[in-house]
Amino acid sequence: METAENKKPRIKVEKREHASPIAQIVALVGAVALSIIVTGLLMYIGGADIKAGFIALFEGAFGSRQAIIESLVKATPLILTGLATVVAFRARIWNIGQEGQLYVGAIASYWAYLQFNSLPPIILLPLIILFALIGGALCGLIPAVIKAKFGVDEIIITIMLNYIVIYFLSWLLSGPWKDPNHYYQQSPSILESAHFPILLAHSRLHLGFILAIVAAILIYLLLSKTPLGYEINALGLNPTAARFQGIKVVKTMIIVMLISGALSGLAGTGELFGVIYRLKSTISLGYGYAGIIIAMLAGLNPLAVVPVAILFGGLINGSYYLQTTTNVPASIVYVIQAIVLLFFLGARAISLYKIRFIKND
Amino acid sequence: MIDNLLQAAIIINILSSMIRIATPILFAAMGELVAERSGVMNMGLEGTMLTAAFIGFIVAEKTGSLGLAILIASLSGAVMSLILAFMTITLGVDQIITGLALNLLASGGTLYWFRLDYAQTSLENTPLVDILNPINLPILSDIPYLGKIFFSHNILTYLSFLLVPVIWFFLYKASYGLKIRSLGENPKAADVTGTNVNKNRYIAVIIGGLMAGLGGAFVSIGSVERFFPDMTAGKGWLAIVIVIAGNWKPGRILLATLIFAFLDAFQLQVQSIGVHLPYQILLALPYIVAIIALISGRARSNAPQSLGIPYHRD
Amino acid sequence: MPVNNGMSQMINPKGSTDNSSVVIATRNLTKRFESVVANDDISIDFCRGEIHCLLGENGAGKTTLAECLFGYYQLDSGEINYKGRRVILSSPSVAIKLGIGMVHQHFVLIRPFSVVENIAMGSLKSNILLDLSATEKKTESLCEQYGIKIDLHAKISQLSVGEQQWVEILKAVYYGVDLLILDEPTAALTPQEVDKLFSVLQQMKQQGLSVIFVTHKLKEVMEISDRVSVLRRGKLIETAYTSEVTQESLARKMVGRDVVFKVAKEYIAAGEPLLETSNLTAPNDQGQPALRGVSFTLHKSEILGIAGIAGNGQRELFEVMSGVRKLDSGEMLFIGKNIANFSPTQIKKAGIAHIPDDRISEGLIMDFSVADNLILGRQRDKDNRKGIFLDRNHIHNSAVGLIDSFNITPSSPTNRTRYLSGGNLQKVILARELNRDIKCLVANQPTRGLDVGVIEYIYQRLLELRTLGIGILLFSEDLDELLSLSDRIAVMFRGKIMRMFTTPGASLEEIGLCMAGIDGNCRE
Repeated sequence: METAENKKPRIKVEKREHASPIAQIVALVGAVALSIIVTGLLMYIGGADIKAGFIALFEGAFGSRQAIIESLVKATPLILTGLATVVAFRARIWNIGQEGQLYVGAIASYWAYLQFNSLPPIILLPLIILFALIGGALCGLIPAVIKAKFGVDEIIITIMLNYIVIYFLSWLLSGPWKDPNHYYQQSPSILESAHFPILLAHSRLHLGFILAIVAAILIYLLLSKTPLGYEINALGLNPTAARFQGIKVVKTMIIVMLISGALSGLAGTGELFGVIYRLKSTISLGYGYAGIIIAMLAGLNPLAVVPVAILFGGLINGSYYLQTTTNVPASIVYVIQAIVLLFFLGARAISLYKIRFIKND
Repeated sequence: MIDNLLQAAIIINILSSMIRIATPILFAAMGELVAERSGVMNMGLEGTMLTAAFIGFIVAEKTGSLGLAILIASLSGAVMSLILAFMTITLGVDQIITGLALNLLASGGTLYWFRLDYAQTSLENTPLVDILNPINLPILSDIPYLGKIFFSHNILTYLSFLLVPVIWFFLYKASYGLKIRSLGENPKAADVTGTNVNKNRYIAVIIGGLMAGLGGAFVSIGSVERFFPDMTAGKGWLAIVIVIAGNWKPGRILLATLIFAFLDAFQLQVQSIGVHLPYQILLALPYIVAIIALISGRARSNAPQSLGIPYHRD
Repeated sequence: MPVNNGMSQMINPKGSTDNSSVVIATRNLTKRFESVVANDDISIDFCRGEIHCLLGENGAGKTTLAECLFGYYQLDSGEINYKGRRVILSSPSVAIKLGIGMVHQHFVLIRPFSVVENIAMGSLKSNILLDLSATEKKTESLCEQYGIKIDLHAKISQLSVGEQQWVEILKAVYYGVDLLILDEPTAALTPQEVDKLFSVLQQMKQQGLSVIFVTHKLKEVMEISDRVSVLRRGKLIETAYTSEVTQESLARKMVGRDVVFKVAKEYIAAGEPLLETSNLTAPNDQGQPALRGVSFTLHKSEILGIAGIAGNGQRELFEVMSGVRKLDSGEMLFIGKNIANFSPTQIKKAGIAHIPDDRISEGLIMDFSVADNLILGRQRDKDNRKGIFLDRNHIHNSAVGLIDSFNITPSSPTNRTRYLSGGNLQKVILARELNRDIKCLVANQPTRGLDVGVIEYIYQRLLELRTLGIGILLFSEDLDELLSLSDRIAVMFRGKIMRMFTTPGASLEEIGLCMAGIDGNCRE
């Protein structure tokens, strides 16, 4: 293919290794803007006045003291699943099993409650929390062991486990743990002595929120300041070099999944003993997957997970309010979450590109 | 004598159901095979099928035409795959996260749209659509036993099984198939011999999406008469597992699909007989078997070398 | 026309102004990657029927230029003229249609496919059905023509490295090329196979083929080329007739200053045994036996070189030495202590340091800071910790010291390692490995891809270590390097040490034969 000499300037798109800070900011702003536009579109399709819709979203999220606190309540499990994802993804372990680990934590802690609920709260509550961590950790251990022993990717194993756990829970709730007084699949109510203490009067803000914040700080310290954190980061950035330079890959992987599972387990228990007060199959409304989105948006930074999770908590809150004031279904929040993730991923990728104009002599 | 009859009837039911249940998974798995042979892993397969199931339902409900519904459902699968292709091939975003995002988009989007259209109705009262009628193949469907099992299904089922030899032929006996396979093994080798890697990966992924769309359409309008949220219930994930367990070979994939479908059919039958096993175990069985299949695989030895790795020149 | 550096011979070969003798030419060709200018304003004429070498160090821009001539990379500015007309090679398929073929530095073959299928890849356009018979016939006749013996139905994964090289070449010439570009084709060949390649190239040249031969080996340039173009840091330094240059003058142009060819190695008597291995057996990643009974003894104050064609077990032996690969059987004694199957950390603690061959994949975490890379593997050491936390102060300070003594640039310990040049990356690894009490060093291709300056530095350090009593196991594909540095050379073939040479007195030819398994003493 031969062409005559061409004097028009050519446009060349180059991909760089790392985006410049300016490009990153522009990309982020672009992603947010696009998300807002699409959200507005969705509201319009939903038959709502767009302006009223956004106001409702905002008011429901942060428009009053009560709303803000309730957003924190919604954010509590999200902080934990977000942290769970951060720990795993930093080691490049694609744990998609937060939902299952969350439920196993709830199940384990409920079992502990059944065994120990005659004990005073000061002993009962720590036991509940302990079993939540153990349950979630064990659930996280399974894919780690399978990967270590059989070399099977953790992604699919964790997703399969999610389904298995849900069916297991269903069996528990329609069998041994069924509430005899109700038609639905759920456990009897939990005794008040086992309720997580409420932090602020007349609100639903419970102990779980403090645990989540503490967890965020601990995970931050772990990842930035300890040798184990060093190894986790190394494993995620270059597993080959990590192995060659003596980092025990299998051991690190197992520890990571134990921690990750435990964090998700804590999320489940927080909802169980802090908000819902009975074991149900709807303890999690996609908190596990939302945690993945939050972790990605937070750039896998444990401290950044907190504000992002609070934003998402606000979004969930806001969408309930949206539904009551405008009849737009609250499930719009799921679409918004997915859209935000997609735009964020796209924007981050685009920010790596540079457009250059090349003139021919 | 009645005992025997009952036995035979049950077995025939199970096997016939097996063929039926295999259909959407086979569509999805065959499509995923083509995509993965070109080097792209479609982790959003579940969401693609769900989208197609919903779109197929909506079109059938609004237009009454099943043919149109199937067509548009298939195209919707292609559109979802196009998004995945754009994000992973052109933009170079990680394939796993992109697939996850698409799954969430599909599950949230279909739920949202569903609630919008049928906000006031409870699950039992959502509108029904016609489903595809079975086509009893002349002569063949009259064969005792085998006729009912194999030759009395609807057209999508026949199509899905026909796809297996077609895809096999395509991959191994057609020139384009060789090209596709080269993209999954060593895309640079294809590039330097004149094949446009990204363009052809797009094509492979979209073909996969079209087939996944057919699978999704079957899940709604091909088998039940309604749509309900998350109705694909992990079939997309099973398809991905099956491609791995089948070691990326069409014949093995068919076998693996039939095994999973058999388990599912068995579970349904067992429920109706009233065996005293918690039904949840049977529901969980496919996922447990999937894990076991992945663990025990002598499989994965045939995995395309460049699977999941984006390609660029510099 | 502008003249480069006052030294070059531009455009037309001496005595001829006939443009039809030029098969391909570049004019002011420039190619950038982000901020790096890989090819800077390069203008070269390549003549018909000549073998033209592109000579330069690693990173000089030779491969980039070759890939531009093949249409794999697009120019940023300048032009390419092919057979007198300007062309835009927007992709390899364009180049192939024009009659340009390329043999790449790292094979681009599809391992699960057969030889025929790989060669057929480029000619699939017209047919829907896959018909390989025509391809097979034509390939057979090509093989006959050039005396190449390969099973056309074998899968690439079943072929030896040398055979794979021939498949690459067949693929390139299959479509009737006028111009053949070869990028470092002799990297994985024994000296005998290199001779065969050269004779085939001469044969092709008689038939009118033009050849561009990319290499960093001066010997090859002198042996095979008619003219040579020297590149340095992306710029063309000179194009000259090979008959009018010497290895020394070429080396000087390649590097920009006088190069010392011989390494000043003093004689030191080898000390006591340091590392004794006997009958090591180990599998490779595919489970096949890779080490089939390796035995040797490394002494103090000794550099023991390990030679061999890649794929004969050297990689696995290195991995066993560094603790990354487990032995099936055999003994490994280090100063009398059994270290068989020690983990990498244990091996390091025992006093054995190692330098991996792929520094970016195996030796460093590119996104870590330099300071963090300097403690890689020692993040749990008491020195680097303060309680359960890392002692950042101590890590920083010791990094400053190491950076200074090893002359690493840029010099801030908080720099991302990603931004360092190849030579500095290797220095980081050296600094890290030598920063402990070591008695033995195992180095795998320690100078590959590095500038002469850094290479000299590394040779110096290695010889210093040897003087201090440290035993060094040196894996290298560079026979000249092995001959200069080693006290003894062990040649590996098919997972065993075939023969041990003592260096003063070992010849390249003998070693080459041994590497190919051909030699009375070496037959299994």
